[in-house]
Amino acid sequence: MSHLGKRWPRGYTSEHMSDRRATVIHVDLDAFFVSMELLRRPELRGKPVVVAGGLGSRGVVNTCSYEARAFGVRSAMPVGRARQLCPQAAFLESDYHYYSGASKAFHAILRDYTPLVEPAGADEAYLDVAGSELLFGDAPAIAATIRQRVRDEIGITASAGVSVNKLVSKVASDAGKPDGLVAVAAGEEAAFFAPRPIRELPMVGPKTAAALAGLGIRTIGDLAAAPVPALESRFGRQGRELHERALGVYDAPVLSGHGPNKSISRETTFEADEPSRDVLRAVLRGQAERVASDLASQERAGRTVTLKLRFPPFETLSRSHSPGQPVALADDVFAEAVALFERAWAENGCRPVRLIGLGVTNLQERGRQLRLGEGIESDRLAEAMAAVRERFGDDAVRRAAEIPARRHDSF
Amino acid sequence: MKVQVLQENLQRGLSIVGRAVATRSTHPMTANVLLQTNQGRLKLVATDLDISISTWIGAKIDEEGATTVQARLISDFVASLPPATVNLEIPDRSRQLKLECARNEASMSAMDAEDFPLVKSIEDGVRIQLEPKAFRRAIERVEFAAANDDSRPVLTGIHFKTEGPRLTLASADGFRLAVADITLGAAPSESIEVIVPARALREVARLVGDSNEPIEMRVNTARSQVLFSLTDTEMVAQLIQGTFPNYSQLIPAQYNTRCIVDVDEFKRETRIAAIFARDGSGIIRLQMQSSNGQAGQLTISARADEVGDNEGRIDAAVEGDAAKIAFNMRYLQDVLGALSGKVALETTSPSSQGVFRPEGESDYVHVVMPMFVQW
Repeated sequence: MSHLGKRWPRGYTSEHMSDRRATVIHVDLDAFFVSMELLRRPELRGKPVVVAGGLGSRGVVNTCSYEARAFGVRSAMPVGRARQLCPQAAFLESDYHYYSGASKAFHAILRDYTPLVEPAGADEAYLDVAGSELLFGDAPAIAATIRQRVRDEIGITASAGVSVNKLVSKVASDAGKPDGLVAVAAGEEAAFFAPRPIRELPMVGPKTAAALAGLGIRTIGDLAAAPVPALESRFGRQGRELHERALGVYDAPVLSGHGPNKSISRETTFEADEPSRDVLRAVLRGQAERVASDLASQERAGRTVTLKLRFPPFETLSRSHSPGQPVALADDVFAEAVALFERAWAENGCRPVRLIGLGVTNLQERGRQLRLGEGIESDRLAEAMAAVRERFGDDAVRRAAEIPARRHDSF
Repeated sequence: MKVQVLQENLQRGLSIVGRAVATRSTHPMTANVLLQTNQGRLKLVATDLDISISTWIGAKIDEEGATTVQARLISDFVASLPPATVNLEIPDRSRQLKLECARNEASMSAMDAEDFPLVKSIEDGVRIQLEPKAFRRAIERVEFAAANDDSRPVLTGIHFKTEGPRLTLASADGFRLAVADITLGAAPSESIEVIVPARALREVARLVGDSNEPIEMRVNTARSQVLFSLTDTEMVAQLIQGTFPNYSQLIPAQYNTRCIVDVDEFKRETRIAAIFARDGSGIIRLQMQSSNGQAGQLTISARADEVGDNEGRIDAAVEGDAAKIAFNMRYLQDVLGALSGKVALETTSPSSQGVFRPEGESDYVHVVMPMFVQW
């Protein structure tokens, strides 16, 4: 068996789940950025709202409310065009930091039901709950529970689709939007697809749709009924694939893990600026643990460790060091980070810190040169801790050193 | 002092001792070379205080004497001269060495030979006679595994130990271990166990070159210095004090898989894999497969994120279970570079020692710790 076939870390996969039960869920937060803005600006509810990455001429629409969509505003549209279409809309600039907390909470909810979660962005993910049904009920029940928890815990709505594969679940969750749940029973994929407009099929963009329209194909059902040779002569190899998709056939499994990241980091913003060295070191220790766990689950090591510090109000500095050997284990990440921290903090007068962060970059395949006479116990410990965190979350297992030493009052 | 020497001889002598000239000098004399009439010949000496090399060249001596001049100056000068007789003269109490060759005349600032750090030859202690080819081969098979950094000084040296007529050289840098045995013509008068700086031995191997002249090794009674005596050249080195780690238990007595391959093929596939490994983690993976007594196969592969990957296969005689192990590419290239013919690789698990033994020879073993990787 060759290892070369496998390009990226294993993680869990749903490949072996070939008995075609409807266990794949696609969950998508409804108009995520807009929903988050409405949470803190309830007065905008029911009005057209556009959230854009910059409100100037070069800004692009990230998300818009369903009210704005009625005016023709769409994601990825230039802000200027959106203003023409819907001048009365409230235009807000994206606040990614604010959204990211909700995004993390969302993904954490999903991981409560299976480790097999494949994120597809900040606001959507695929889950394969095969094996979780005894604990939590069948896939539609789990999807309903997730939607309820997103509403209760984050305060926004999510739509979900349930089916035998990611393709059909994605179309199903789109069909349920907003705030809906659509479950497609195994074997019903083609029937569910048949009446839907061709543009709802994920691989069909405007050009393909126009070309299909030229062949008289307007619904997914039309495509499924079209002869494969005709599709192949028009679209080449893609023709057969289009036909299979139209029937709801899609093999790619749900993959956990995050693929080949370029860096792995954690940062912590303090509610009150933090003056204590002990606390800062303890936070750094915790970040080193989490970063090392992520490195372990992706089977990577990093050549460079970066420390980030922010002093109020917004003075941010970062310091990096590349030790000779790539770092992978929490102790090594922490040792590098704490050395950077002590120097950078002292250079800045040991002032209270608003934010502290730790990252590892220049990732490469993990491989630790063993020493003569050495075993692999430390690697086994790190692997075990990473496995626990994968299953039960970052805080399931902690180093004692993450807890800052309590000052003992003298008698 | 007044002597005549042939330019070729002087140039060769200066290049021999030049290896001992200090590159970053702390003592001004360590950048100099000593020229001294000695028993009808001209003796040249250079030292960096760790090692000292002396060589004797034929000379016509008109007046005995000694002086010392900057090594780089005289070496560069002599190397540029035509092949002819060189006259060296230093008038009494003068601070200038005069050199004449063909129609070229030069004079160089000289310093008093009395100030040159004296390195005594070793006359007491133990003497061991060494066959040059076997000794050089043993050095070349162990020197690269010695540590380069000074964090554990004993590991920057080669451990020499005799047991009867057998001399064992060993080096280790914490990740690998190389052990070479030499069978001596006769057991030395007393057994020795010393640590010789690897650098000194690299110089000895270079001095030996392709020569067939026997070498004598002398270790003084105090076990503080070693001398290697060749026909016209001697090297004295300070021994490294300390205890070399007991390495015998690091050489596994058993294996689960033994894989015999052609060294040249193994080297070639390793070189190819290294092209990919060097851009990533430097990891080269080896997989050994037997096929029920049929000819087996060794797969050598490497990959680098966002660069690419490679996999090569060579024929192998595989005994035991299928196995896999990953090595740092440099360690693998180093050991293969020291071998020829066929090599046996013995493994017990992906996270324990890989043992390389030249097939059909029992006088060398090389142990490399693997990389701990995910397969």
